[in-house]
Amino acid sequence: MEMIEESLGKTVVVTVKGRLDSNMSKGFETRLMELSEAPGASLVIDLGEVSYVSSAGLRVLLLAVRKVKAGKGKVALCAIQPQVKEVFDISGLSAVFSIHPAREAAVQSVG
Amino acid sequence: MSNQHRLKDNVHNGAVHIGLHVMASRIDISLKNKLPEIHRLAELVEAFFSDHALPDRLSHNFNLAFDEIITNIVSYGYEDEAEHRIDVHLSLTDGLIEAEVVDDAKAFDPLNAPDPDITAELEDRPIGGLGVFFVKKLMDEVRYKRENGRNHFYFCKRASP
Repeated sequence: MEMIEESLGKTVVVTVKGRLDSNMSKGFETRLMELSEAPGASLVIDLGEVSYVSSAGLRVLLLAVRKVKAGKGKVALCAIQPQVKEVFDISGLSAVFSIHPAREAAVQSVG
Repeated sequence: MSNQHRLKDNVHNGAVHIGLHVMASRIDISLKNKLPEIHRLAELVEAFFSDHALPDRLSHNFNLAFDEIITNIVSYGYEDEAEHRIDVHLSLTDGLIEAEVVDDAKAFDPLNAPDPDITAELEDRPIGGLGVFFVKKLMDEVRYKRENGRNHFYFCKRASP
């Protein structure tokens, strides 16, 4: 898996590529937590190139979203592929995450 | 002996012909208790589903189920540092896809755990327990048994016509 970080003003867009599962790199989790812990963080996680998410991947996303909320920041997810969306739906996380089909809308929502 | 039975026997003997477009209706794979083995399995499972012209969505669902169960076994099942074998079986019979994971980890019935509360507020969301819940939700049937010191986790789903 790969992770790309871009800054758009005060918003950080994290683009993830590959599989988010129990094999994901520790470095990814550590870096995502650092970004999420910043007070008042404005974060977008782009999952457009993530083909697979297991409960281990959801756990990391859930932790990140919680940390951002705890620091009074905003976070949105975008471009989730259909088979990955099904996993979000079954877990009930679709109801508590801010999810947008397009990256632009996600960036606007946290701005 | 029918042709189909001969094929099955070949596969039982370890000659897994998937990828060569032989329509084996069953594959048996042995994994080590290491997480990267799940990716190796995923490729074999994808090839099996594509060889049988089964939809990608089903392939994804079975791979997620295997991943969740095997991740649990590898992460929490063993009390030593030794190498262990995990046997995976996958078969297609008259539209019924059946899978089984057999391991010699400590006895653990994942079906005994309560379902996570998926309606809780964000702060109260449980971090664990989602994996087995996915398997129950995505499959038609799941079963567990402990036999001769090994855990057998079985799940199946009918391919829609």
